Amino acid sequence: MRSYISRQLVQLVVVVLGISLLAFVILHVLGDPVLLLLPQNAGKEEFERYRHLLGLDRPLYVQYWKFLSGAVIGDFGKSWYADTPAFRLVIERMPPTIYLTLAGLLVALLIALPLGILAALKRHSWVDSLCTAVAVAGQAAPLFWLGIMLIIVFAVRLRMLPASGYGTWRHFLLPSFCLGAALAPITMRLVRSGVIEVMNMEFIKTARAKGVAEPMVVVKHAFRNACIPVITVLGLQFGQLLGGAIITETVFAWPGVATLTVESIRNQDFPVVQCAVILLALVIVVVNLAVDIVVAVIDPRIRTGA
Amino acid sequence: MKAVSAERKVELVALREPAPAAGEERPALRRIGRLRWGLAAGGVLLVIVASAVFAPWIAPHDPLAVNIRHRLAVPAWMEGGTAAHFLGTDQVGRDLLSRMIFGGRVSLVVGVAAVLLSSSIGVLLGLGAGYFGRRTDWTIMTGVNVMLTFPFVLLALAVIAVLGPSLVNMIIVLGVAGWPIYARVVRAETMAIREREFVLAGRALGMSHLRIVFRQIVPNLTSAIVVIATLQVAQVIILESFLSFLGLGIQPPTPAWGNMLGEGRVYMLNSWWIATFPGLAIFVTTLMINLMGNALRDWLDPHMKL
Amino acid sequence: MGRVVASGSALLLALALVAPAEVPAQTKEDTVVYAIQSDMQNWDPPNSVLRESIILGYHVFDHLAARDVKTGKVGPGLAVSWRNVDDTTWEVKLRQNVKFHDGSRFTAGDVKATFDRVLNPENKLTARGNHTKIKGVEVVDDYTVRFKTDGPYPLFVERLSALVMQSEKAIKEKGHEWMQENPVGTGPYRLLKWSKKQEHLLVRNDDYWGPKPAFKYVRVRIIPEQATQIAELMSGGVDVIKAVPPDQMDVINKSGAARTSTSPILRTAFLQLDQAGRTGKNPFQDKRVRQAANLAVDIDSIIKHVLNGLGDRTATTINPMAFGFDPSVKPYKQDAAAAKKLLADAGYPSGFEVGFLTTAPIVEPALPQTSEAISADLAKVGIRTKKRYVGEVGPYVNLVRDGKADPMFEWSWGYYSIFDADAILYDVMRCNEPYSYYCNQALDDLIIQGRSTLDQKKRAEIYTRIQKLVYEDAAYLFKWGLRGVWGISNRIEYEAPRDEIDRMFLVTARKK
Repeated sequence: MRSYISRQLVQLVVVVLGISLLAFVILHVLGDPVLLLLPQNAGKEEFERYRHLLGLDRPLYVQYWKFLSGAVIGDFGKSWYADTPAFRLVIERMPPTIYLTLAGLLVALLIALPLGILAALKRHSWVDSLCTAVAVAGQAAPLFWLGIMLIIVFAVRLRMLPASGYGTWRHFLLPSFCLGAALAPITMRLVRSGVIEVMNMEFIKTARAKGVAEPMVVVKHAFRNACIPVITVLGLQFGQLLGGAIITETVFAWPGVATLTVESIRNQDFPVVQCAVILLALVIVVVNLAVDIVVAVIDPRIRTGA
Repeated sequence: MKAVSAERKVELVALREPAPAAGEERPALRRIGRLRWGLAAGGVLLVIVASAVFAPWIAPHDPLAVNIRHRLAVPAWMEGGTAAHFLGTDQVGRDLLSRMIFGGRVSLVVGVAAVLLSSSIGVLLGLGAGYFGRRTDWTIMTGVNVMLTFPFVLLALAVIAVLGPSLVNMIIVLGVAGWPIYARVVRAETMAIREREFVLAGRALGMSHLRIVFRQIVPNLTSAIVVIATLQVAQVIILESFLSFLGLGIQPPTPAWGNMLGEGRVYMLNSWWIATFPGLAIFVTTLMINLMGNALRDWLDPHMKL
Repeated sequence: MGRVVASGSALLLALALVAPAEVPAQTKEDTVVYAIQSDMQNWDPPNSVLRESIILGYHVFDHLAARDVKTGKVGPGLAVSWRNVDDTTWEVKLRQNVKFHDGSRFTAGDVKATFDRVLNPENKLTARGNHTKIKGVEVVDDYTVRFKTDGPYPLFVERLSALVMQSEKAIKEKGHEWMQENPVGTGPYRLLKWSKKQEHLLVRNDDYWGPKPAFKYVRVRIIPEQATQIAELMSGGVDVIKAVPPDQMDVINKSGAARTSTSPILRTAFLQLDQAGRTGKNPFQDKRVRQAANLAVDIDSIIKHVLNGLGDRTATTINPMAFGFDPSVKPYKQDAAAAKKLLADAGYPSGFEVGFLTTAPIVEPALPQTSEAISADLAKVGIRTKKRYVGEVGPYVNLVRDGKADPMFEWSWGYYSIFDADAILYDVMRCNEPYSYYCNQALDDLIIQGRSTLDQKKRAEIYTRIQKLVYEDAAYLFKWGLRGVWGISNRIEYEAPRDEIDRMFLVTARKK
């Protein structure tokens, strides 16, 4: 077990380093910060001076080292727009994003689990076909369109829920439903496949042969084993979930990291974009690691490399 | 990398119809049913593609022709609508139907081009990783992990931030961001095929690496690549429309379904047609591609290799 | 690894603190909610040109003179009376028993400290240009101040309504940086909490010297998207929104939850053309090209069809409500053929391509649509525009200020709510002003003359000459004076303000 975790940790570090390199390359090599900071008619000496000031005349690997060493202690530089440290801005906006993502995950599970199990049990029936059809259609609907529709129906027409913003539990309902509904189709198909596969396995047939009642078979044996692949993929889908959260946040004016990133991109506020990208990557990687460990604990086959 | 195989196993399970257990009825018929849907979807898709290709001939108006006297005209079937503007006009009087047809061009061009780019990169890297193994494999797979960890959306946003919004930049970004999936599958397949007899025979006969790869391995991969590519087009179209919706993709006045949705958003409560039809177009196109892709997968590769 | 631990613990800490526990619970009855599209960069009004800063400044600070909302005339504020001692000296008597939010008394020392700080060129405060005619401020006693002006200064009283009085203690003891986030004023509300880019929470100042506001709290929510603002207004999440697009007025009025209220406002919109060459060599440096641009666009049609009539055509940049406006100077009449000929004469027979910087419809509603319509008209005579979009107001304004705009860009000016032609000419049409891309020595001379005499009749003549010059030289592509459209919730009493300054302290609940 220990070697497994340490292997995963090494992988985590490598991946995060890789992402930081990617972020650095994108923002330093492809863009020219000095060009953006200075007015067009600034003389050549001004450009050189600023370049020196920001350390941009040093070789790239030196810059990268400086950036990395700063990042490790949480110093990502100051936002060019708001004059506060980028790290602080991003951290402040993290909690709403995390909460939204978790809420979306919850909604997705609430929708997908019952439907997936139902479809699996009634495989090949019209119920199954309907669920699958809805899932395929759901995967095709653009998330931001769904969000806009929800706001119009529930906030404006019915006046039941707030149209945007953050604060009370009511503010959570529409965005998390939107996000969850977007993730539910694929989750449902996962659950369905997982349950079907498990239902066909030997130990189920054994249980049936032993005379165990069908509901018990489903709940006790099939479901628990089907959880493994579902948890694994959901954990791995966390990155995609976050991607969905980005879109949801934009539509609902949710004060999270995603809206901050989009704004910063519009303002060309690179330190903030860089910081947000790396911290989000870190969160995703940590979650992936946690999921890996949980699955390894549950499923002994993986640990011992069966 | 045991966790990788667990996750891969789950992917296989999740995205495929699980193999029928002994005694299950009519799997063949079910396949044909799926294929029927796929053909129908393919037909619809053909119409969409044709309309995009022949846009200049079939669009009733110039999509860029501003006519403020006729702005916000209602669709033809509503009271006050005229046949001249079948789907109505937008906020500066441009014909919506024409803009939808031309917008399809943008979506399809970006979709196909980006997918061509990402599949080329991904297949080459996957072949390299799978065939040469060890260090090449490790480097490339780390790259895959790094990029897969990260939400597609955020990566695309960050790069657009630096490069600026334009059609070419979008294709580059979406293309480069999409290669990991191909790489992963191709790598796995390559590794499997590499050990097969005909390849070993080829090595014994002194065939060069290049010949082996392109003459013996690649042909076995085409079906996998085609299926993934098809499904990817749908994902790219949705992503492109989201970026345009945010104002970071195709810039108005060039019509693209995404930016039409964005511009029309504020009109949802009165001149709803401006945003609704592009949204519908995205939905239908994506749905058709998904259906066709699923059917393709069932037809080309019914044995769970993907 | 250190990063993981550091970030991890920071994240945990942040998660733990997420509930806004420090803020007192406000109820719907005691809170009025005001929406703005873009957050200010600081709480130091003399250091910002953004309208939001001015508006929120009115809530937390006071001015020496204040405009009466009903009559439009400037009357006493923190100053109770003023007089000319001589042509270049004004004596102002201050109101007594006024306290700053930190408890200190408002005295003449605060007035002097405020003006000194703004007038000092080293401080580089944006408000400086408004008050350069003031040479010095003298404290006579605790409640009397003397202003020495650079020649006769007719706008003195008007301008007194445009500078907030800040605390001397804050200026001297806390310094500039601190003042950016901590406003210390004498106003009807004080700042309780500022969540950057999200919202501001203001709480009533119960020791206020003037009329007590009806609502205890003002929540200022930053909602960038118009669609979201309208949705919030109609669902009860927000009470007042501004810059409602004319197209959405019927939706709001039919909703039953809110209504619209319009008013002509001072804000005047136009497209700046880079005659001064600040962005480099460009076709607009030639007068004929500028005239062609003006002749190409059918502005009246745009006002009628795109703004639904909510705009007042201007021949120049001077607003019909401002002193100095002369209706006898008529605007350009659309003539595409004449435009093409002018372009050919100037050496562009097949037109040219030019960059066009645009922004989001934050102060100018329907900007995307009017922009499109203008571009289309320009394209018809051969001026092909290449749009560059910068959505946020702060960065947009900075680009313009730093000379990094395009040869053609959207601009509008609120006159600092001063109903006088000088308020726009000085900052937006003089040589070498940061927000001006036009340079004409003859105009500069006239502008200086206009603000140097106390004789209103003479001033009117000068401004007529200015308008003729600006029109003939086609300094910019002229558009219209805006009509502001406000969306107001039916649970409050409020009307659209003519000076574009929302005063939440005047809002009252509607009787059922």
